[in-house]
Amino acid sequence: MGKLLVPFLLLLGVVGAAVVSDRPLPRADFTFINRGDVTTLDLQRMSWMQDFRMARLLFEGLVRQDIFTWEYRIIPGVAERWEVSPDGLTYTFHLRGDARWSNGRPVVAGEFLYAWRRALLPECGSDYIGQFQLIKGGKAFTDWRDGALAEFAARTDVPDREAAAAALWDRTLGKFGELVAAKAPDERTLVVTLERPAPYFLDLLAMPCFYPVYPPLVDEYESIDARTGQRKFGAGWTKPPALVGNGPFELKVWRFKRDMRLEKSPHYWNAVSLSIDTIDIPTVEDGNAAVLAYRSGVVDFTTDVTADYRAEIIAQKRRFYEEHAAEVASLRAEGLDPFEIDRRLPPDPRKHIHVVPAFGTYFYNFNCLPRLRDGRPNPFADARVRRAFAMALDRQAICDTVRRTGEGPIQTLIPPGAIAGYESPAGLAFNPAAARALLAEAGWAVGQASRPPPGGTPAPEFPTVEILFNKDSGHDKIAEAVGRMWSQHLGVPVRLAQREIKVFKENLKNGDYMVSRAGWYADYGDPLTFLDLSRTGDGNNDRKYSNPKYDALLDRANGERDAAKRLAILSEAERMLVEEELPMVPIFRYANFFLFDPDRISGISAHPRQDQQMNLVDVLGDGKGAERARVLPARPGSFTAEGAEDAEPGKAQN
Amino acid sequence: MTGLILRRLAQLPFILLAIYSLTLALAWLIPGNPLLKPEGRQPPPEVQEAMKAQYNLDSFPRFYLSYLENAAGVKYLRESLSGEAGRRRERAEAAGLAPPPRYIFDLGPSLQYRDQTVNEIIRGSLPVSVTIGAGAILLALLLGVGAGVVGAVRPNSFADLATLTVALVGISLPSFVIGTGLLLVFAVWLQWLPVAEWGRPRDMVLPVVTLSLPFAAYIARLTRMGMIDTLSADFIRTARAKGLSETRVLLKHALKNAFLPVLSYLGPAAALAMTGSFIVERVFNVPGMGQHFVNGVQNKDLFLIIGVVLIFATMLILFNLAVDVLYRWVDPRIE
Repeated sequence: MGKLLVPFLLLLGVVGAAVVSDRPLPRADFTFINRGDVTTLDLQRMSWMQDFRMARLLFEGLVRQDIFTWEYRIIPGVAERWEVSPDGLTYTFHLRGDARWSNGRPVVAGEFLYAWRRALLPECGSDYIGQFQLIKGGKAFTDWRDGALAEFAARTDVPDREAAAAALWDRTLGKFGELVAAKAPDERTLVVTLERPAPYFLDLLAMPCFYPVYPPLVDEYESIDARTGQRKFGAGWTKPPALVGNGPFELKVWRFKRDMRLEKSPHYWNAVSLSIDTIDIPTVEDGNAAVLAYRSGVVDFTTDVTADYRAEIIAQKRRFYEEHAAEVASLRAEGLDPFEIDRRLPPDPRKHIHVVPAFGTYFYNFNCLPRLRDGRPNPFADARVRRAFAMALDRQAICDTVRRTGEGPIQTLIPPGAIAGYESPAGLAFNPAAARALLAEAGWAVGQASRPPPGGTPAPEFPTVEILFNKDSGHDKIAEAVGRMWSQHLGVPVRLAQREIKVFKENLKNGDYMVSRAGWYADYGDPLTFLDLSRTGDGNNDRKYSNPKYDALLDRANGERDAAKRLAILSEAERMLVEEELPMVPIFRYANFFLFDPDRISGISAHPRQDQQMNLVDVLGDGKGAERARVLPARPGSFTAEGAEDAEPGKAQN
Repeated sequence: MTGLILRRLAQLPFILLAIYSLTLALAWLIPGNPLLKPEGRQPPPEVQEAMKAQYNLDSFPRFYLSYLENAAGVKYLRESLSGEAGRRRERAEAAGLAPPPRYIFDLGPSLQYRDQTVNEIIRGSLPVSVTIGAGAILLALLLGVGAGVVGAVRPNSFADLATLTVALVGISLPSFVIGTGLLLVFAVWLQWLPVAEWGRPRDMVLPVVTLSLPFAAYIARLTRMGMIDTLSADFIRTARAKGLSETRVLLKHALKNAFLPVLSYLGPAAALAMTGSFIVERVFNVPGMGQHFVNGVQNKDLFLIIGVVLIFATMLILFNLAVDVLYRWVDPRIE
């Protein structure tokens, strides 16, 4: 009998050892769920919003944005001041003397160049390589490197490949200095010349991919691959204890898919601005678990509420607003920050959910190639057909009955109200009768109602429309609704094609689809961040749309020096997209779903651009920091039309 | 016995090689480019090709061999012998930096989680899964053997039917239903236990219970059947005839024999439980290894898929070996 106890004792030992060895950390000043775990903290290779949020805590760029101003004003970061040449091409930055890495060494101008060179290497795979190529010579450098790598890979007669690869790297360093017009004349000066004037360049510099990395550290983890001659980007320098950053916080613990612990950096030049000393970021991937974690007080802020019952939580807030309708109306009339409105209402857990319009759009792609992948002619190559399908979509119904989460329907690609001074076109409204007429005009039979013209041949039946989507995030429900609307209003047969995400992505890239779901979040505060998507040959042009007239408009805008005129040209380009050409049909504006108690937490911005800087967070009532809520000022005229309020849950939904 | 252990251990590398070959071949066939992110911006096509070459994803044989070289420790040995590793460490220390980690069995980088190596992912998540798994198997043994004995002593009694029913429910109810139910009752309504936290013993209670129920149910059925068989055997009649107390007959004589099928089930069960469960991890937000089996395949993260499969295979082989050793020790008749 005693022998039988052995397996029990073994198991008991394992459990006991684990319990003793794995102790949780004490609670931090502020705890938030950063939408799953971070994918990478390698600045030049990141593109996810949760990665950006972390990068802004651990690193700092030349400039920052003041996210509590409507124009997203550019304020100093590592650069204490800068000058722009009269032709708008050359920027000279003067770095502050007290900017320090977390190991105490000063941040110098060359470290920015080191980081930017990484991003311009084709093998780095930076998502934003196109933005870096705005720097004069950037494109030439990438192209040169591309050619040199291809040549190196093709050579088979090299006796010592390792030495040859190292020599190629040395030549690459030389080429960067020779071709790229970004120079560091001394440690505290950085001079950058652009390919063309770009009023949004400072905005780009506030993006984490333009932040500096610590070269000695990164060098340790990168190597030269002898076979391909490429720079090999090793993983690992982004984790403690190795990580060296220059931001307000230091990463002390990163247990992957479990949690992160950040502590205030003693070397940060503006450490006095911080109102919290420690931040905890537990990884919670399940939507329900995230809401429960917030409800039970484990976290103070959830950046992304994805639980199935999200719509019900939002409906509760709507009822809360209805109970205080008069107060809400008068506070809104004052143009107050929506979070501040909540603060002035009585405490109530129902007000902790926040639906904040984001700087992103959910839309449907039309394949614009003349032929489908299987060789059939593509009916959507005709802009009239695309317009007809766009006008047969009842976006309001999708928002109200399918989504039910307070996102606003949208008829433009660029969410209105997010870019100061930019006037959005009207777009195409829901109009099934006009849609049918247009489809008939394009030569297709429209439902049962269509009659062949007397004496003429009957119009051909529209081929089955296949809607491609991946199964996650409720795309299936939207696809069903869209399909129903098209078959109802246009009488076309529709088939839904649900794919795994990898296959979905591959089909999009290969143009192997008819219609698909899509979405886009802006990177910077300029219309180009959306409009470049439809440029011929753009890497993200999944619609394969190509129109010389449209490209010419974008080129004209790029050459325009007058900011207002430039925005007018871009507005015309967007009008062309959303009223005439419709390579994609916008459906709704994305929203962020936050959970936090506005009476306790301050520092989260309601600005539609939604680049949160968590270093601004203040836990009200903890005795640290200013203890006064940060708010957006009253909304100026250009933001009133369709600003942040649209998707606020208080708004009547019917 | 020593011969058995040595023989099995000698087989281990060959079994792993076969499993590696098969897994890679299947994973290679998953459609999609593993370097592409599911959403958002994509680098231009020529850059994507360049990145593929970095990881040898452009050629199956090249990938096959280079992975073997790293994972089997050949690269580690080469770098150590040539002194390259030492030089690199000295250089990093001279610059005041933490030197890059080195692994004897280097399972490669994760393609989707670019900052993590597969070794790090496994090192972080496997202990968590082992803890929960060990707890679950322990609980399953207590519950299952207890219920099985009760059922076998009075077959077809109310207690027997009740345990059989519970066992049937335990096997057939998916763990996301059980897990969500437990979470609702004990964490949300009664607030006895925490939600979505990890690290303290009380955080482990609900995941362990959820994970243990299907195993407990299976063990209960195995024990019951074994006990019923054994209780009708001659040596039990002899034991009773000798005048031994019923408890002694049951626990010392009958259970020892009835437990043998349970013991052989324990090998695969422990390997399964200790490598994590995707659903239990998701419902209770446990940072275990089960999620990586699913995410790895979804992301076509080749290194991660192979890494977790190899770990699972190794554990399965070792646990089965341990069970065989225990088996012989408990029941010396077996050769």
